[in-house]
Amino acid sequence: MSAVLETTPALEITNVTRRFAGLVAVNNVSFTLNKGEILGVIGPNGAGKTTLVSLISGTLAPSAGDIAFEGRTITKLPAYQRARLGIGRTFQIMRPFPGLSVLDNVAVGALFGHGGGESDLARARELARAQLDFVGLAKFADQRADELGGPSRKRLELAKALAMQPKVLLCDEVMAGLNLVEIDEVIEVLKRVRERGISIFVIEHVIKAIKSLSDRLLVLHHGEKIADGDPDAVLSDVRVVEAYLGRRRA
Amino acid sequence: MKRLHWILLAAGLIVLAAVPWFGSDVLVQFGINALLLAVLAQGWNIIGGYTGYASFGNSVFYGLGSYGVAIAMVQWELPFAVGMAFGVVLAVAFAFLLGLPVLRLKGHYFAIATLALAQVMIAIVSNLSIAGQNIGLVLPPLNDDRLFYELSLALLVAATATVFWLTRSRFGFGLFAIRENEEGAAVMGVNTTLYKVLAFALSGVFSALAGGIHAYWITFLDPASAFDISLNVKMIIMAVFGGPGTVLGPVLGAFVLSSVSELLSSEITSFAGLFFGLVVVVAVIFMPRGVADLMRRFRRTGWRYFVENLKAHRI
Amino acid sequence: MDLLAQILVNGVLLGGLYAVMALGLALIWGVLNIVNLAHGAFIMLGGYLSWHLYNYLGIDPFLGLPITAVVMFGLGYVLQRGMLNLIVRAPMFNTLLITFGLEVVLTYLAQLAFSADFRTINPSYAGSSIALGPVVVPVARLMAFGVAVALTVGMWLFLLHSRLGRAIRATAQNLVAARLYGVEPRHLYAITFGIGIGLAGAAGGLYGTVSQIDPYIGATLTAKSFAIAIIGGLDNPLGVLVGGLVLGIIESLTVLYVGATFGDVASFGVLVLVLIFRPSGLLGKTA
Repeated sequence: MSAVLETTPALEITNVTRRFAGLVAVNNVSFTLNKGEILGVIGPNGAGKTTLVSLISGTLAPSAGDIAFEGRTITKLPAYQRARLGIGRTFQIMRPFPGLSVLDNVAVGALFGHGGGESDLARARELARAQLDFVGLAKFADQRADELGGPSRKRLELAKALAMQPKVLLCDEVMAGLNLVEIDEVIEVLKRVRERGISIFVIEHVIKAIKSLSDRLLVLHHGEKIADGDPDAVLSDVRVVEAYLGRRRA
Repeated sequence: MKRLHWILLAAGLIVLAAVPWFGSDVLVQFGINALLLAVLAQGWNIIGGYTGYASFGNSVFYGLGSYGVAIAMVQWELPFAVGMAFGVVLAVAFAFLLGLPVLRLKGHYFAIATLALAQVMIAIVSNLSIAGQNIGLVLPPLNDDRLFYELSLALLVAATATVFWLTRSRFGFGLFAIRENEEGAAVMGVNTTLYKVLAFALSGVFSALAGGIHAYWITFLDPASAFDISLNVKMIIMAVFGGPGTVLGPVLGAFVLSSVSELLSSEITSFAGLFFGLVVVVAVIFMPRGVADLMRRFRRTGWRYFVENLKAHRI
Repeated sequence: MDLLAQILVNGVLLGGLYAVMALGLALIWGVLNIVNLAHGAFIMLGGYLSWHLYNYLGIDPFLGLPITAVVMFGLGYVLQRGMLNLIVRAPMFNTLLITFGLEVVLTYLAQLAFSADFRTINPSYAGSSIALGPVVVPVARLMAFGVAVALTVGMWLFLLHSRLGRAIRATAQNLVAARLYGVEPRHLYAITFGIGIGLAGAAGGLYGTVSQIDPYIGATLTAKSFAIAIIGGLDNPLGVLVGGLVLGIIESLTVLYVGATFGDVASFGVLVLVLIFRPSGLLGKTA
């Protein structure tokens, strides 16, 4: 892994907390996402992973703490401005634009993404087609988005986010429900995304996949960060094992 | 659209434009009403059909347009065109001032809020002396139905062209994204608040212009008729019946329903409204996506189209 | 000061009536997710039914209220089972359209059957009033208020404590949960709608004793009921009562201090403000 001491991190999350009525979903979490890095995030269900993604993308506002993108504080920026700065995300519960074609779904990303996107529809559609090729959905381009099956919808989410030309990609369980072959394909796609210079923040449940993909691993449990570092080290950390398997007899 | 469709459309337009020269007076008057309703339906289409915010407040824009023209011409003795511009200014101001807070509401709450706003406007205008209060205003007469007809047709063409432009512009795509999944749209970089207000204002401009033409044509208006809610419901029904979120659907819906209503009025007077209500009920059950969708799918699925709609929505 | 007291009392009495008008709407909207634009038309029908019971069968409007309510319940049940159940899973906007169509049909049928003249229900005690200190209270209004409050509290108890009431509340959460109560969903939906319409009918019967009925009052009453239901919040009958009282008092005060024609501005103005600042209503749970 390369040393990234001098470059500004792509994302810097400092003491971020998010409370809902009576529940603390994310509790005082701090970490950085370095440029060109793939940071994997794991944790049992309800650990606060999706909430964290929503906080970074701007869908939710933090109750406390700060978020910085490439050195610039974005804590108070609304979601659409963060998108224009270069933060893209996929949704765990996939929500395509159902009435639009697959191509047009992705075109929205090209029209509105990084830097405000394209202004010309035809050009946006070209870019969208390129992304569909990249994720392997080219043959579905003209179908209605809500006619796609589960695994294809996951790829559509990815294509939409990529069409935004993001600098940071937030992936929320893009591998859930996929078989082993499909998982490997997604891993390849994400590695190629990293080659484009995009920093990736990946939430996943499939441990083997995320181990082979990530440069670093972050573990969340009950909204708190309990480990952060080299994947092998993290996965053998006692606290992480306990979080997943539950406490055994002392 | 295919070349054939463009030719048919052009031909239809020419026929429509020629009506005042070979049609009866009654036909021309029916035409003006139908055209204005089509403009309203098309205007509603922008905010309701394409952006997904079902507005019951377009009758407010219509009323503002009517009063804009009336006040300008009666109280300040300005020409019609200035009155129309004034009506537009009022509409845009309203869209921005009240649109901002109200567009933050979701779905049916937005609908109710706009409904309430319409009621408030009636009550407020009824108390303004410059607007003639409850009695209303009487405009200088202009006996030229032909002119009003062509004006209305021109307005409809403008409205439809605008909707067509939406389907091929970045702005329009932003609106579709908002309709389909607003949170998703925001996360992809769409400034949802700005776009919604712009769509609301655009929709309002057309409603206001239609109101202005109508006011000058019938030379009279009062608060209840200018801000009439049933007008709003009519435009919604026509847009939805014809096909919301399509370019020609609302126009189709407006023409078809106006014609049916007109036919029934002359033949069987008191049953017209009853029939209208029944048509709405049956249509919502069996073809909720409108005539446009019906025409598209019927070729593929035939009569099963109706059964499928039913099965999808019943418990 | 006396005038203020009188106005406040008027407002409260009006408010009670408003509350029972909105009760059925709030129930149907909150539980079935159906926005019933025909609600006012059902109030109107209830009023006519009570009028006929009084004028042709000599049944006192207050005593005959249960009959009106039951008949309207039946109508509501049939409408839900036969028609509205068919679009329950469609986008909610469709309920707006279909109930609008229903409103048009009902108004026309009423006009056909009852002509456009207006009616009032005038039992012998209708003209008399009681004096409570400096305030004059018309007997009919007081009785209407009493019944209204009783119905609201009764509804609240029903929803909270009876098995059927709890099944109805479960349906508001989720159809599957309702099945756990052992009631078939189609039947449960129809019962709920029936109750809502029965309440509307009862409200109509009460309305007829204090005001005039004609086939066209439906639209205004629907709008008012919406305002009250939203202001009070859809979750809770007591909220609707509060909403009704708030609106009744605000309207009465506005008419006194601002002008007779501003009553509606006040009601709908409050509605808009509530929607903007607290859309779940004064007593509803915040989102």
